Amino acid sequence: MNRFRVRVFSLIALFFACAVGARAQDAPPNVWFQGTRLIFDHAVASQGELMVSTRDAGMRRFLDRLAATVSYQPQQRYVVITAADRRTVVFTLGDQSYTAGGVRAQAPVAPLADGDDAVLPFYALARALYVEPVATPSEIVLQPRIGALDVRTEGGRTTVTVRAAMPLVTTTNAESSERVQLSFAGLGSSLAPAGRAPGTAVDSIGVAVAGSTKVPITTITIQGARGATHRVLASGSPDAYTVVFESARGSVAVNAPPTPPPLAGWTPPPAGAAPGYPQTATTQPAPATAAPLIVAGRATVTGLAIEPAADDALAVRVTLSGAASYAWHRLNDNRWYVDFQNTTLTGPGRDEHPSFGAVQSVRVRQTGSSDAPAVRIAFSTTGQQRIDLAPSESGLVITVSTATTTDVARTGTGRTGGAAVVASAASPDPNASPSDTGGGTSPGWKFGANNGSKIIVLDPGHGGADPGTQHYGLVEKVLTLDIAQRLKTLLVAQGWTVRMTRETDVDPVSAENIAKMRADGKANPDDRAYLQTRCDVANNAGARLFISIHVNSAPIESARGTTVYWYKPQDAPFAQAIEKNVIPLAGTQDDGTRHENFYVVRHTSMPAVLIETAFATNPGDVALLRQPSFLQNVAQGIANGVKAYAGSPSANALSQQQ
Amino acid sequence: MLIVLFAVAVAAAWWFTTRAKQSAIGDTITVYYAKADGTTLVPWQVSLNPARGERGDAALDRRSTIFYAATQCVAGPPPGTQAVRFPAGTHVLAVDVQGSTADVDISKDVASSAEGGFAESAEFKALVWTLTQPKFGIDSVKVKIAGARVATLPGGHLGLDEPLSRSSF
Repeated sequence: MNRFRVRVFSLIALFFACAVGARAQDAPPNVWFQGTRLIFDHAVASQGELMVSTRDAGMRRFLDRLAATVSYQPQQRYVVITAADRRTVVFTLGDQSYTAGGVRAQAPVAPLADGDDAVLPFYALARALYVEPVATPSEIVLQPRIGALDVRTEGGRTTVTVRAAMPLVTTTNAESSERVQLSFAGLGSSLAPAGRAPGTAVDSIGVAVAGSTKVPITTITIQGARGATHRVLASGSPDAYTVVFESARGSVAVNAPPTPPPLAGWTPPPAGAAPGYPQTATTQPAPATAAPLIVAGRATVTGLAIEPAADDALAVRVTLSGAASYAWHRLNDNRWYVDFQNTTLTGPGRDEHPSFGAVQSVRVRQTGSSDAPAVRIAFSTTGQQRIDLAPSESGLVITVSTATTTDVARTGTGRTGGAAVVASAASPDPNASPSDTGGGTSPGWKFGANNGSKIIVLDPGHGGADPGTQHYGLVEKVLTLDIAQRLKTLLVAQGWTVRMTRETDVDPVSAENIAKMRADGKANPDDRAYLQTRCDVANNAGARLFISIHVNSAPIESARGTTVYWYKPQDAPFAQAIEKNVIPLAGTQDDGTRHENFYVVRHTSMPAVLIETAFATNPGDVALLRQPSFLQNVAQGIANGVKAYAGSPSANALSQQQ
Repeated sequence: MLIVLFAVAVAAAWWFTTRAKQSAIGDTITVYYAKADGTTLVPWQVSLNPARGERGDAALDRRSTIFYAATQCVAGPPPGTQAVRFPAGTHVLAVDVQGSTADVDISKDVASSAEGGFAESAEFKALVWTLTQPKFGIDSVKVKIAGARVATLPGGHLGLDEPLSRSSF
């Protein structure tokens, strides 16, 4: 570390010695860009390169024009410039080698640290951003260029994408269905014309540059194969322009590969060799970071999570501190229970009605005597279900399948524990939910149980100064309140007491919470989303359930459907019940339930869900969101889900007394 | 005089960079991005630049590599790859590494559009998975927006009051 610093600083000192000496003799040249001179205030010319600091006003202006950003931090080795099209240009301090879009290149001078800033080879950077420095007798003209022509063929369809440094201003001249001419004003090009690629729908691509150095015009002529048709594709980026050609043979000609082949033809980076390009790679499983905690004496149930498992099975994860023997029993009337001997429960008993798979109820009780305590977990199922037990060092996982069993065994015993494992191991598969992988997330005993409360808290998302998402004339805060008010009516009819975090267009924020969160360093004056107040409404009321209602949005138009998010393990069966009941009524795509660190589901102490009802960014979903009948159906679906999960409040109160 | 000084500087830089040995982290890192479904993560391999490895300072090596990984994840996969991306202009301002926690400061562009839970979830799942790859020795990720601690993202869904980890998603 120190040696490195010493070397860096010595380099900086040398550089400035040069810079000071250089100012007199080797002043930065006149640099012309986009109609004006770029004025550099922290720059020095060297070896045909222009070394410019990241704090230089000219550098800042140049990058702003290109919508590019710089990431650099003192005490770091790398300087990363992100172009508008999301390619990155990566410089390493003290090294001439750099990468642009994953392709390696050499700068004549290595970048250096300069206090809190970095000094970069400007011309190399400009080229990487598709801007070519063109020397004229009097000055250097920074000429934006068409930097890449991507040609991608899939089946009988060839997609040609033009990428440039700047938003593309195009004049299109479609001469025929087979031939199109694109003119880009203000852009030069060093692309070579390309001939025919076999098996594609494009015969040739011609590139011609006219105009002056300062105001060039590039014309690209694409000649399709005989009988081909073309259309312009909407592009996600203003810096890219895409035309698709389809051959007359259509899909007949095709040996269509299942995935698009790598970029071919005229782009500089060969896909296989470019380090910045995706390759098939397997993920290394993360090692479990479990910390064993040995507890002597009597065993204690410290956690109990009820989670959906594969094939509609229900998994109950019992976490024990200490070792315990258990015995299970199957009764004739579709009941099954397991007793943990010499074991105590850290919380009160628990009743769950998951309405999930084949499980009708789960009941947890402290039984036995004070000398010989026992904990009983009992299931009521729809039939003689297959029930698997998986003892581990941390406890026992009980999996209730939807399949029935013909096994005649009526009882069994086992032993579990010995060490309580604080399970928060990283899931090895990024796409598996924690319930699939066994990465338990429960910090301990949670009161997901039926607490006998008749109160449900509804949270219409956003409100007041926070409109939420806004697309196609829809405003999220208005829709969420509308659905919540409809749902309130339905739940009151079921016998629930309903509290709302907001009844009008306001953002519910308590001054107390703002002060507390600022004091804790968890918020700042610009942080308008103080969601704690919404959680407090439910936590302080001792609510049985919490439902937050939202409308989704995505940067990708194709994303659509309904998702119910949960965080705490006891949220999961509730989320399943809501999703299962909303989908048939709403008619939206079933995007399933997802485990997610959303604030309101994490910071509420009862089973809680956040439903993203539909996407305000998908035209199909937008058409639905515009219909009051859809909003009513969503409300009805949620109400049905509540009933399926928790029954009606009067029935719960009755079962609590028993 | 000037030329001599510069020659010395360049020679020093050359000497410095060629004294490389094999890094403990290796020459490539894994960066994740979220597919269009908003939850499926795709890993891609990114070479460190340059692939020379460590310069005899393991702490600098680790800190720089984690910073690099964060910038690559926020920039997202190459153009043309369909992915749920951070809003335009979003970039990493700083990454501080304290033990097994990375504290990432992201530019305010991340708040430039009020996003739904879908995008917040996809973006930060990819970031957390990238930074917690085993060889970095990071297990939790704190997030700041333009230097400030926030309770949630401005979109108002994802909680940022507690460090994020792989089990957050």
